[in-house]
Amino acid sequence: MNGVANGRLGKRKRADLFFRVLATASAAVVLLSLLLILGTILWKSVPALSLSMLTQTPKGGFYLGKEGGILNAIVGSLYLAIGATVLAFLLSLPLVLYLNIYKGRASKTAVWTRFFLDVLWGVPSIVYGAFGFVVMLALGLRASLLAGMLTVALLEFPIMSRAIDEVMRLVPRELTEASDSLGATRFETALKVMVRQSAPGILTGVLLAFGRGIGDAASVLFTAGFTDRVPASLADPAATLPLAIFFQLGTPFPEVQQRAYASAAVLTLIILLISLAGRAMSRKYTRHVVK
Amino acid sequence: MRLFKDALARRAMGLVAALPGILVLLIVVGLFLKSKAILGIEPLSRLLFSSAWHPLKGQFGLLAFITGTVWVTVTALVLAVPVSILAAIYLSEYAPRWVRESAKPAVDLLAGLPSVVYGVWGVLLVVPFVGGVLAPLAGVYSSGYSILAGGIVLAIMTFPTIIHVTLEVFASVPRSLRDASLSLGATKWETTRHVVLRKGAQGILAASVLGFSRAFGETMAVLMVVGNVPAVPRSLFDPGYPLPALIANNYGEMMSVPRYDAALMTAALVLMLIVLFFNVLARRILVRVERRVR
Amino acid sequence: MNGPAPISIRNLSVFYGDLQVLKDVNLDIPAKKITVIIGPSGCGKTTLLLSLNRLLDTAEGVRIRGQVLLDGEDIYAPRTEVTRIRKKMGLLSQKPQVLPMSIHDNVAYGPRIHGLRSKKDIDRRVEHYLKVAGLWEEVKDRLREPASVLSVGQQQRLCLARGLAVEPEIILGDEPTSALDPQSSQNVERRLMELKQEYTVVVVTHILRQARRVADYLAFLYLGELVEHGPAAEVFANPKDPRTRAYLTGEIS
Repeated sequence: MNGVANGRLGKRKRADLFFRVLATASAAVVLLSLLLILGTILWKSVPALSLSMLTQTPKGGFYLGKEGGILNAIVGSLYLAIGATVLAFLLSLPLVLYLNIYKGRASKTAVWTRFFLDVLWGVPSIVYGAFGFVVMLALGLRASLLAGMLTVALLEFPIMSRAIDEVMRLVPRELTEASDSLGATRFETALKVMVRQSAPGILTGVLLAFGRGIGDAASVLFTAGFTDRVPASLADPAATLPLAIFFQLGTPFPEVQQRAYASAAVLTLIILLISLAGRAMSRKYTRHVVK
Repeated sequence: MRLFKDALARRAMGLVAALPGILVLLIVVGLFLKSKAILGIEPLSRLLFSSAWHPLKGQFGLLAFITGTVWVTVTALVLAVPVSILAAIYLSEYAPRWVRESAKPAVDLLAGLPSVVYGVWGVLLVVPFVGGVLAPLAGVYSSGYSILAGGIVLAIMTFPTIIHVTLEVFASVPRSLRDASLSLGATKWETTRHVVLRKGAQGILAASVLGFSRAFGETMAVLMVVGNVPAVPRSLFDPGYPLPALIANNYGEMMSVPRYDAALMTAALVLMLIVLFFNVLARRILVRVERRVR
Repeated sequence: MNGPAPISIRNLSVFYGDLQVLKDVNLDIPAKKITVIIGPSGCGKTTLLLSLNRLLDTAEGVRIRGQVLLDGEDIYAPRTEVTRIRKKMGLLSQKPQVLPMSIHDNVAYGPRIHGLRSKKDIDRRVEHYLKVAGLWEEVKDRLREPASVLSVGQQQRLCLARGLAVEPEIILGDEPTSALDPQSSQNVERRLMELKQEYTVVVVTHILRQARRVADYLAFLYLGELVEHGPAAEVFANPKDPRTRAYLTGEIS
């Protein structure tokens, strides 16, 4: 050539191929992990799942008995996670709206708040559990559905806030400016424009937080207690699926271990369902969204 | 009336904005208060740097647990970061659209799986794999319950975080930039390496930082596979005992042994302070990198 | 024309999914002249240009039929080495895309990729082509600075230098001045006119006046069809096809 030999071409092509294979293999590893996990859970839980498993609470000597099922944990988890998610939402949405509507991205408040949210996001859930425990004692509460809800709400709060914030940040300024220039107050702009536009993302954020909340064991370990019964009030202790798995997996009794696998399957199924539901509803709401 | 509602809303939301800061403060203070029983008695250096952990004898050295935490987290990141970035490169640069679009929900699903489910899977598959396949290959004996097992499970849990952010970073690199490189006669890998990765370097760093945060904050899955032996691990195949596992496992006994609860609260406080410190550090680094790129 | 055409387009059709964007185009690009492709927006001009250096390969769902002969060899033949083809052509895009590196490294990128090792040779080449692009004086003191600090006009000239540094035979321009201010546009046009002494130039533009200024050879594309082509002076003075006439007089745009 023009001056530069093309002799390196073979080497370049080999490098190109090598990295292509490496990248593909890495993606395969990730996919394989997912399949392995789902497959293993499926394999182990199919023998354990039955109607009675899902609809009965454990009977007669929980850890020794072969009777009963995991209804206590299913209901306990649902109550707890739903309550915690609602609480977290009541705090997250106003916070993120405030950050995006009233304060510019660069304002000191916004920067500091986001910093602390980042810190909270990274706090291990066991620390939330320990803190929740401390607060519980201080308030005179006992291990209960309420204490668990509060702790998990604490866990979900930064997760939900970050997820919603990421979506709201994408709302183009022109949209909010349009609303402002029509004479709307910032609050009205917030409600009518921002929330509508980010609705699919908000939904996804809420579901994401719900998923993390329902699946977390460390935060409810100290705070929600554990029981054979379905909780009847906020002051009752509540069994949760993650703890059901954790406690029951370690026992030497295969019948009890079965309950652990069944709980794992139910928990995974719940996560799958909310994931799908999230996508489906997201698509529905995207109709109103301005591109 | 509208203006009143606006002002009211503004006040209320402003209060909520203070919440994250207040919470961080409350957590640090709360844990500190509960650790006072032991902090007042044991010198800090002994708490943090002694590996003698014998609660019944009143010895509460946390070194073994701190090193356990570090080992597991580092192992996880060493595994997770390269694999995640390469997987993201595949999805972004090589995969046909239908593969990329169906991979995204798969990655999200991986992200949503609860910690305990990972733990169960770890016990069923990863532990035997480490004990029965990897350890013999390395010429050591291991029960399988090890730092490595913890690292592998944690790495898989971290994949989605890093992949998700990295994919966004790659997507933000305009296609015409890649075209510019290609039209000079560069191969796809050369383009990826010199253009895409370079342009996205800052974002990839941020993704890794996020990945670290995620990995560090994990409790259950690691607890179930890491062995929980309170000794300083000397190899990847040794069992470890990270701080979160320590706290979670001893919840039952903590009330009966004197100062045990304070020791565990100290462990929780250590975790909290590490997270805080790390976030400050990460923020500094990211800002500096951002300034350089500008 | 002296000798065989460097680029011969034979029965080229391009489909994006079900949509046929180019319909059976046949065109010989003359050597060492500026060929300008004109036509209303969306008529396939850019697609035609990008089919020449196989940049269409990167888009999804594209199907290509026909041949493009570069120095007699069909670049779409199954076993052709793409990077070699692309090296023969330099592309100047509408919006200057500077690589995320220093000014010096931007120009050095191509040569380095293709194997140029010696620092001296590289520096010499960088300086040479920056001069050819008319940018040397403005950047010679800040070669190590990131290319993003340059103005848009300067960036476009940088891209020109970068494209020339791999020593192509052909220069392709995709609306190369649309994003530039009048002064820079003029600058780039002047460069292209100087360059035609060494290189074959193919430019796509929607600015008729620009076409009048620079074109030696003209091709008019309308709705994917090559309607008319020939020496620029002839086509401008006596367009044979009514559609060409309509476009040139501004009836369709």
